[in-house]
Amino acid sequence: MPPATTTPQPVLTAHGISKRYGSRVAVETLDLELAEGELYGLLGPNGAGKTTSIHMLSTLVRPDRGTIRVAGYDVLSQPVQVRAQIGLVFQDSALDRTLSAWENLLFCGQLYNMESAHIKQNIRSCLQLFKLWERRHEPVANLSGGMRRALDIARGVLHRPRVLFLDEPTTGLDVLNRRAIWNFLEQLRQTGLTLLLSTHYLEEARNCNRVAFMREGRIIGSGEPGALIHALGDHVLEIDTPTPAEHARRLGSTLGTPIRLDNRLLFAVRSDQADLGALQRNLREEVHSLQLRRPDLNDVYTWINCP
Amino acid sequence: MIPWRAIRAIISRDLTRMLRQRGRLLSSMIRPMIWLLIIGTGFGTVLEQFGRGSYQQFMVPGILCMVLLFGSVLASLSLVYDKESGVMRMLVIAPFPHYWIILTRILGAAVVGLCHALLLIVILAAIGYLGIPHSIPLLIIGLITTALLSAALGALIAVYSRTLENFAVVMNLFIFPTFFLSGALYPVDHLPPLLQWITRGNPFSYGVDLLKHAINPGLPPALAPDFSIGLDLTLLILWTLVALTVSCLRFSRPVALERLAARLATRR
Ligand SMILES: Nc1ncnc2c1ncn2[C@@H]1O[C@H](COP(=O)(O)OP(=O)(O)OP(=O)(O)O)[C@@H](O)[C@H]1O
Ligand SMILES: [Mg+2]
Repeated sequence: MPPATTTPQPVLTAHGISKRYGSRVAVETLDLELAEGELYGLLGPNGAGKTTSIHMLSTLVRPDRGTIRVAGYDVLSQPVQVRAQIGLVFQDSALDRTLSAWENLLFCGQLYNMESAHIKQNIRSCLQLFKLWERRHEPVANLSGGMRRALDIARGVLHRPRVLFLDEPTTGLDVLNRRAIWNFLEQLRQTGLTLLLSTHYLEEARNCNRVAFMREGRIIGSGEPGALIHALGDHVLEIDTPTPAEHARRLGSTLGTPIRLDNRLLFAVRSDQADLGALQRNLREEVHSLQLRRPDLNDVYTWINCP
Repeated sequence: MIPWRAIRAIISRDLTRMLRQRGRLLSSMIRPMIWLLIIGTGFGTVLEQFGRGSYQQFMVPGILCMVLLFGSVLASLSLVYDKESGVMRMLVIAPFPHYWIILTRILGAAVVGLCHALLLIVILAAIGYLGIPHSIPLLIIGLITTALLSAALGALIAVYSRTLENFAVVMNLFIFPTFFLSGALYPVDHLPPLLQWITRGNPFSYGVDLLKHAINPGLPPALAPDFSIGLDLTLLILWTLVALTVSCLRFSRPVALERLAARLATRR
């Protein structure tokens, strides 16, 4: 008899969760399902409802409607058990600036009822990974912003959660720090940690195996970044012109309806459609610039937002 | 289930912070000494009919309670500041029910207040204002219950205030009236009826009175304790439980947590 194939149980499921503040909709009937080891990105502009969603999933805000299960527990009726299984890195630092890195992590480990020896071992490995071990006894206030952010993430994973929520984890960090943090998160993912990330940096979302675009509390598009990009087309043709309306009309018949951003026109085109040479010859006198490039998540985002 | 490790961690963080701010600890000893040595001496000469130095003797329980009140209420109020700070973020996401944030804050604040009181006891003993108390167990019970009451009242203020930019407001509106209308500075029996009623309604009065029983039961009748030990203990415990329950319930309301979560989401 062949072994029974078991589809892995999702580690997080949310069904139809909604949240209103007065008459303002913060999140509207959101559905999510995360498999173990996934890196899921919630993308959207300011006020889209990313933080509210993360807070509902992590027991801090009560949804008006809907159900959420995390790591086998119900968020509404078993919040304490859920909190034991998750980590949350807030948009802003969750550290005591008067204490040292070491003291902060020790304090945090004790809140999770960890054995002292276990805490110390985990602190050591976290701080070494982030290259903070040498500075562990300095007050947090003396560390740089990037180091504090790294420490914040170390705090979020110290108790080895099954799901880690990251609310804009790398805002305000330089490229090197950002890369270091992503390497670290990738290592944790290898051990089965599931990550749910909110961000408005689209480059960052490339690391995700799935993303969802949010606007005004709703998911307006989702999927694998590669597939979303591929579905858009092979190329994006970007034209900067003083007469966008006219060019949109003229080129629309062959290239399809463009997205118009002020004086720029964006066409999503397939390889066989785009004859750049001919276009260049036709348009050279009339446009400021003309560019044919590979689409990226920014373009997906643009298309989803301006259908 | 009681989160013992978390309780210990929170209390030891409070103590660490207290010891790092040694200057503040020492300066909080100045206020009671001013009351005792300057005001106490001034009034003492007027009240010499009760015996030399007996008014200052009368004041000792009051100023011990004073440092408990200031120490514990202010430590409890740091809850409001924690609301803005990183530590509250660690606490709300930690795996215990949210009312433990209040309970541990109250315990930590009471311990801080007790440390202040112990330091003052050492100082008073060193300069000869405090001998061996009449009843050491009663003194210990009195200090602990009063510290807990003060910490619980502090937590109550903290959960009802959205923002407390101003220590002065709390000082003038809450801490000073509580202290002045408590029998710490004058015996309750001799106050005019209105003030007497307010004093009897003030839970802090019973802490002061309990310490009077523990330290000074033998002063002349005019300066003797006003209530019975049983009444003192009952009201102290009752008030503490009420303040603690109300603070926990108020803090744990979903809407309160929501507001807190919104504040913790970003620095504004
Ligand atoms: N406690 C609250 N009271 C009232 N309105 C709120 C509250 N929290 C969030 N909102 C509103 O809900 C909407 C979603 O906010 P949310 O913080 O979830 O957005 P976000 O996607 O995290 O934005 P940002 O990128 O700026 O962090 C916003 O319109 C916001 O003003
Ligand atoms: Mg946000």
